[in-house]
Amino acid sequence: MIGTGIKKGTAELAILSVLEDGPLHGYELSRRIEAQTNGSLSFSLAALYPMLYRMEQRRWIRGTWETSSNGRRRRCYRLTPQGKKKLQPLRAEWSELFHALRRLTKVSNA
Amino acid sequence: MPCAALPRFPMHDWAQMVRERLANLALDDDDAAQVFDELTGHLEQDYRSLLSEGCSEEEAVRRALAGAGDWQVLQRKIEASRKKEPSMPKLVAQFWFPAFVTLLLSMVCLALIQIFGPNPWLTPVTHGWRFVAPVLLVYFPWLFTLPFIGALGAYISNRAGGRARVVFSATIFPILPYTVFFIIGLPIAMIFDDHVARNLTLPMFFVGLCAWVIFPAAALLAGGVPAHYFSGRLDARTTSNG
Repeated sequence: MIGTGIKKGTAELAILSVLEDGPLHGYELSRRIEAQTNGSLSFSLAALYPMLYRMEQRRWIRGTWETSSNGRRRRCYRLTPQGKKKLQPLRAEWSELFHALRRLTKVSNA
Repeated sequence: MPCAALPRFPMHDWAQMVRERLANLALDDDDAAQVFDELTGHLEQDYRSLLSEGCSEEEAVRRALAGAGDWQVLQRKIEASRKKEPSMPKLVAQFWFPAFVTLLLSMVCLALIQIFGPNPWLTPVTHGWRFVAPVLLVYFPWLFTLPFIGALGAYISNRAGGRARVVFSATIFPILPYTVFFIIGLPIAMIFDDHVARNLTLPMFFVGLCAWVIFPAAALLAGGVPAHYFSGRLDARTTSNG
């Protein structure tokens, strides 16, 4: 299980990466992250929405209200051009960190 | 985690449950309503998902609500995350900032031209072209820089959402000190200083007014007007494409 500190640091990367594939609303986003990381990363409602709102303030993502076929209003988040720009250096930073940790701990296939 | 039977939850009005738990959310009404709607949608979906996994209604409700953790903490986190970052007040962004940019740049340009520009010989004449030529050598280069400065001021003001009147006021702001001098300073000087009153003629006054107020204003607007309309059209195109 991944610790809380690292989870916090990876949250932005996780959200931006998942939204790169297409717009999603909050609940779908959390389920998608959980499924794609086999449950290693999971977002509770309390962690997810403050994070989404902060990222929206920074203009990395944009939320728009949509009405689903059953008439339910949902807020759909999509990546903005600034978010796409942010994703590249974030990926590079985390990749560098993983490589450094792999060298440091001599763990293979980390 | 398997679902165990727990005490029955009395109602499944998710919107009401969210509103009750975040009753003290310190956001404006519209902002708070959006948060309530979004969290309500999330809880409802979580609840349905738990039901489809085989949980009892009571357990699904309990676990969906537990996903929020401590509601007081969630409330504080939401308030912090939705707090608007301090931005420049509208009037500052649309008028004062571009106005002082244009004023500062026009002053700096005039000073730089005086220091590094043509360095004419001063001749002991008191009238005619030979008298004004040294001044014009400094004045004209400065006048040619003004359309660029005006364009920059108009662009900044326009980007901040300024209307045409505000944009053009900011654009011609550098002429304010000269206008004040000609309209207020000079008449006062004429009252208190006989030398000024004796030597200042009406044609000289108008030449000065044209040279330091009207021509610079026209030069600033020559850059500012196209910049305003061009950047406005550019913004409209970006919006329609985006």
